[in-house]
Amino acid sequence: MLKSKTFVKKTRSGGVMKVVREHYLRDDIWCGSETCTECKQDSPVLQKDVCVESNLCSYPHYLVPDTNVVLHQIDVLENPVIRNVIILQTVLQEVRHRSAPVHKRLKDIIHEKEKHFYTFTNEHHRETFIERQPGESANDRNDRAIRVAVKWYSKHLKTLESGPDGLKVVLLTNDLGNKQKAEENGMVAFKFEEYIKSLLANPELVDLLALSNDDKVTAFTDRNFIHILVLFPEHLPLSRIQVGIKSGSYLQGTFRASRDNYLEATVFVQGDGEDSTEVLIQGLQNLNRAVHQDVVAVQLLPRNQWLAPSSVVLQDDGVAKDDDVEEDEEEKLRLSAAEAARKPTGKVVGIIKRNWRPFCGMLNVSQIKESTRHLFTPADRRVPRIRIETRQASTLAGQRIMVAIDGWPKNSRYPNGHFVRSLGGAGEKETEQEVLLLEHDVPHQAFSQAVLSFLPKMPWAITPEDMAKREDLRHLTVCSVDPPGCTDIDDALHCRELENGNFEVGVHIADVSHFIRPGNALDKEAANRGTTVYLCGKRIDMVPELLSSNLCSLRSNVERLAFSCIWEINHKAEILKTRFTKSVINSKASLTYAEAQMRIDDTNKTDDITQSLRGLNKLAKILKRQRIENGALTLSSLEVRFHMDSETHDPIDLQTKELMETNSMVEEFMLLANISVAQKIYDEFSECALLRKHPAPPPSNYDVLIKAAKSKNVEIHVDSAKALADSLDGAKVESFSYFNTLLRILATRCMMQAVYFCSGMDSDFHHYGLASPIYTHFTSPIRRYSDIIVHRLLAVAIGADSTYPDLMDKHKQSALCNNLNYRHKMAQYAQRASVTFHTQLFFKSRGMLNEEGFVLFVRKNAIIVLIPKFGLEGTVFFDTKDKVSPSLVYDEEGPTLKVEQHTFHIFDRVKVTIGLDDSNIQHQKIRMALTEPSIPGVSVPAPEAEPPTKKQKLDR
Amino acid sequence: MAGIELLSDQGYRLDGRKATELRKVQARLGVFAQADGSAYLEQGNTKVLAVVYGPHEMRGSRSRTLHDRAVINCQYSMATFSTAERKRRPHGDRKSTEMSLHLKQTFEAAVMTQLFPRSQIDIYVKILQSDGGNYSVCVNAATLAVIDAGIPMRDYVCACTVGFVDETPLADLCYAEESGGVSSLALALLPRGGQIALVQMDARLHQDHLEALIEAATTACKGVSKVLDEVVRQHLQEASVLTGED
Amino acid sequence: SMAVDMRLPTVKKTMTLSAPAVYRKDLVVPGDVITSDTGFMRGHGTYVDDDKLTASVAGKVQRVDKLICVRPLKTRFNGEVGDVVVGRITEVQQKRWKVDTNSRLDSVLLLSSVNLPGGELRRRSAEDELTMRKYIQEGDLISAEVQSVFSDGALSLHTRSLKYGKLGQGVLVQISPSLIKRQKTHFHNLPCGASIILGNNGFVWLYPTLGQQDEEAGGFYTSLEPVSLPDREVISRLRNCLLALAAQKVLLYDTSVLYCYESSLQHQVKDILKPEVMEEIVMLTQQKLLAQEG
Repeated sequence: MLKSKTFVKKTRSGGVMKVVREHYLRDDIWCGSETCTECKQDSPVLQKDVCVESNLCSYPHYLVPDTNVVLHQIDVLENPVIRNVIILQTVLQEVRHRSAPVHKRLKDIIHEKEKHFYTFTNEHHRETFIERQPGESANDRNDRAIRVAVKWYSKHLKTLESGPDGLKVVLLTNDLGNKQKAEENGMVAFKFEEYIKSLLANPELVDLLALSNDDKVTAFTDRNFIHILVLFPEHLPLSRIQVGIKSGSYLQGTFRASRDNYLEATVFVQGDGEDSTEVLIQGLQNLNRAVHQDVVAVQLLPRNQWLAPSSVVLQDDGVAKDDDVEEDEEEKLRLSAAEAARKPTGKVVGIIKRNWRPFCGMLNVSQIKESTRHLFTPADRRVPRIRIETRQASTLAGQRIMVAIDGWPKNSRYPNGHFVRSLGGAGEKETEQEVLLLEHDVPHQAFSQAVLSFLPKMPWAITPEDMAKREDLRHLTVCSVDPPGCTDIDDALHCRELENGNFEVGVHIADVSHFIRPGNALDKEAANRGTTVYLCGKRIDMVPELLSSNLCSLRSNVERLAFSCIWEINHKAEILKTRFTKSVINSKASLTYAEAQMRIDDTNKTDDITQSLRGLNKLAKILKRQRIENGALTLSSLEVRFHMDSETHDPIDLQTKELMETNSMVEEFMLLANISVAQKIYDEFSECALLRKHPAPPPSNYDVLIKAAKSKNVEIHVDSAKALADSLDGAKVESFSYFNTLLRILATRCMMQAVYFCSGMDSDFHHYGLASPIYTHFTSPIRRYSDIIVHRLLAVAIGADSTYPDLMDKHKQSALCNNLNYRHKMAQYAQRASVTFHTQLFFKSRGMLNEEGFVLFVRKNAIIVLIPKFGLEGTVFFDTKDKVSPSLVYDEEGPTLKVEQHTFHIFDRVKVTIGLDDSNIQHQKIRMALTEPSIPGVSVPAPEAEPPTKKQKLDR
Repeated sequence: MAGIELLSDQGYRLDGRKATELRKVQARLGVFAQADGSAYLEQGNTKVLAVVYGPHEMRGSRSRTLHDRAVINCQYSMATFSTAERKRRPHGDRKSTEMSLHLKQTFEAAVMTQLFPRSQIDIYVKILQSDGGNYSVCVNAATLAVIDAGIPMRDYVCACTVGFVDETPLADLCYAEESGGVSSLALALLPRGGQIALVQMDARLHQDHLEALIEAATTACKGVSKVLDEVVRQHLQEASVLTGED
Repeated sequence: SMAVDMRLPTVKKTMTLSAPAVYRKDLVVPGDVITSDTGFMRGHGTYVDDDKLTASVAGKVQRVDKLICVRPLKTRFNGEVGDVVVGRITEVQQKRWKVDTNSRLDSVLLLSSVNLPGGELRRRSAEDELTMRKYIQEGDLISAEVQSVFSDGALSLHTRSLKYGKLGQGVLVQISPSLIKRQKTHFHNLPCGASIILGNNGFVWLYPTLGQQDEEAGGFYTSLEPVSLPDREVISRLRNCLLALAAQKVLLYDTSVLYCYESSLQHQVKDILKPEVMEEIVMLTQQKLLAQEG
């Protein structure tokens, strides 16, 4: 093998370092074409019969894109029409250097068999490797390498006897110099746009084209712009930015655009350890084309130019504005700056890393009828409008579409982009769901064949080998208690009295890790998804349905594999013994909370299941009391539940979830199991146990809560979780029964986020909310990946399974935790967004309602009202654009807001009308208006009673 | 940007080798007239000079004398110009001392020291250019030098450094790979009998991977031994032609 | 001005690994199995592994009856009784000197094995033990003969003959012991005007041919008379010839050295070690040797 290689040294100099690397050239790199008989390849990738209808090249051909084409036109390359493409190693490496996301996408395409993309390792091929010549830039060298490879292919394919006549390779490049040189050398080369436009059968590809540089110039020299305006300062080159950051004259940070004000943003600068700062950026010039989430370099302005964040809401309405108007708006910003509230202010001097992703949004069709250039408004208000070119504007109007940014030249008011795909009609449930999944980065594609291939073959049954390794617990009276309609049952319980008078309690969890083996495609997919996402009326599974709703679901009267945690507990609910075992169970009943509650309450019933439930319930109550005595918090948030129409899946009623004793019964044992398992895996693997912690919030978080309680003469202590829990319990106001719940809702908002972490990477394990020194997630492996890892750890700990490398690697474990935390957060946001959307749908169908609510917060120009009936929170604004504002006096101490003659306090009882404001189709919202107390000029009259037809439907 | 890609999807490494391929090995015996044995070996860009003196009377402290076998004394050093950045101390630092010790252990397993009681064998190796696998290349060069000195050995000792990337063992790591965050393992083997003279690994590696890695290292060592064998036989042939015997 | 002769390292013939050479069967490398026949006895350079006679060094297999040895190309000196050696004193101990003779262990020269001034029959007194350094001290070179071999392989030497003893002015050349041809005598007064001691241990001593040996000196006399320039040139030329022969692996004995000396005369002394000159001279030498063997 070795001898067939000649040997060339590549030297890379930089500073005084001289790196010498070997570079082997080979004779055994094949061309990848089916037609080739010379190359000794096993499974050629490029097809023999290439049929693409192009009016530029009538002959069959393979495509060779250069680096820039791949970087900018990846959307087109992804299209199924584009096949039989040769990706040169030179190109692949350059892409990898310049854009990780594009590289990932390119690799995905290469892996897709249908696409017939072949990677030619030209840099190690004896005949296509070239050395950089003196005076030649790296780019020029790479361009030449690409040409040499194309030339080699042309010659190689020409000499083939068996091949179809005239099989050629076509170089696609937008670099005119490169193209010219290629043509001079007798190669076929086209500009990418030119080639795509020649594909007569597929005109839809043209819209996917990204604007290339020279297109952008023409875009601004046409009739709309007589002279090229330079709107923005130049970005500094990366080298100067790095020098500046080192010397401290620039700061590096993440750009976060303001949601409410398009002329304002903050740059979050991560300092050493805890201290990090936020730099305020105001004004188009200072924002200097940075887009939300970009990593930028900022320069601080002199202290006398520092500003305060404005409280004004400004939306870029996208109508081409005169510069004067924009200047006016910027002026407004400056005036609003109060002396005291000034913050470090700066300007963006350069972009370190763009973080552009495809954005969901809608098209604002241009006023000019024939125009192909239109503005696109992203759903995310923090992202600027994007100018795109499309011929299908009339079709796309009213649809939700995805658009990618291609660039933002300094003479353009908006970034330029291109159309990626349509998601469907705006306002349609399917489309909106898709949008909210995309915007929250929830992976929701159907599971790939590779993933499904790791599912067990059906019909599936427990084998004798499985049986031999597991404890047979089929005889136990196990049952599950879940919300109605639950198909992914991951936990079941049993309880029986032992001969010695103690109880044996078992928590049986679906043994998902038996089916998902480490490292395979199924496991990787689940690890990436991290969690099942529950939207209203839709569930996005973490694992394929066969597992989630069938093989892993602990349904009644079927044999299922389980991972059991079994305690011996005495009548005081003290744990005497804990053991863990892999088992086989046969659940005797799948109950809902309500059914379980009924059985417990029905004194006539004495069957095993009911006995078992009563035992559990009794113990759970003691456990709960003990936990609360230890300082665990019972917080409150209103969860709503929609009643859906079975046919249209539209919400027809909205209820807050009701909690029953049985809810807390199940919860209590799940907590117990989680804590027991956490302790066990930590004892066994102190370095790599996956745990969950809930940090104590900083005291300042409680300010709002303390102030609010004080307004009702109630004192809240926040020194410890126990003190908080106790003072919440004691907080009662006569004739205001809802007060306590409201306080708990406020308390919930003071809390920190609980997070997963790897025990080897952290020292603080405490779970504040549960008042437990250690905690993890064990009980829901069907819907949480963290639990699968915990199962694997526990299985190793009890000798039921073996370890694998990544499980024992704390850095990998920690990286996994970061992903899980991110996915959980996004899943929560997506869930909330889904609830909001369905609430809107509900109110759309119900028309205007008049409901009672409580003031939850008081703001400068508004009050935030909670409607307990719907668990709905809304804002009542007192300064509307089109009306004269009433007199508003805000007192920060209370906090109170005096509107004309009436003063609003927190917890005030009010009545409001609720209705849907759909004036902006992308940002529909619930609008509330005050009806009681009645303030002249502010409040509105109560609407009439709702139409009776709707009522009937509800009664059904 | 992510770190360097050590193994491409097409199965090629940074320098164009496939996972199991060794670097080009070139070697020469008897490069020094003064020493009892010497050899120069290049494995890719790692270049090593090995010199052997002995067996001879114990020099220095006599207390180290062993009455049943010879003492093997190894010294590993790196030329100041051997690395990309100039080295301050060519030898005597902690790493060199450790390397010297490893070499000593390796050769004690192969050299028939019991034939030379009360004597000493010096093995000096110097890295002239360092590009990964320093220990292994030193072992290979020193083996040739010991053979050149006519000191009896049970078998060659061949060594190879292997690493683990993307579930694939890579044979004969170069510096870019060693420094690219690979868990590497160095194995010295007596290839004919398959006895392991030394295994050395600093990084963490899951035990599931160990077997595959040792397996790959063994194969690589056998590859190295083939090359060394050719070199020795060629040298032998040339030398005996020159002496004009037979 | 000084002329400097500089050259880049010459490219030696690189070994082409591709050549599937058929190697001679009698040449073995460590680990090679020589025979699985258990009827043989193992000699030097072999060991028995799993009932197989295996080589432990790289070299040529030699078979004497049932004894099998492998002789390595290069090795330290394996002295036998009667061998002539040249060595350097490394240590002066009680009643004996330690001598580096290129063996695996230093050789021993007992006080009782040297002729002290005053004749063969002189008794060794306690005073002699204290004044050993007066005769021979550390760093001195001697010529001697192997008297016996100790069980651990160390050699015992004696200088009880007039031709042996402390060496005076001259040049030491160290080469592989295997290149020294065994002959009746290893002391030669070469016709070119210098003398040579071809130690069996690979240490070769070149010195100006002396007129008269002073018997009374008992072999401890060293002349400090300046050596004439022509003599020094002859010795230098001989030294380079020895190195040239050794580099080309030619066996050393009086004839080969002499022929080589003659062949080198057309070159300056300093040029002899230039590779191309060396090759030419040695080739001429070999031709002469062949012609003489005729």
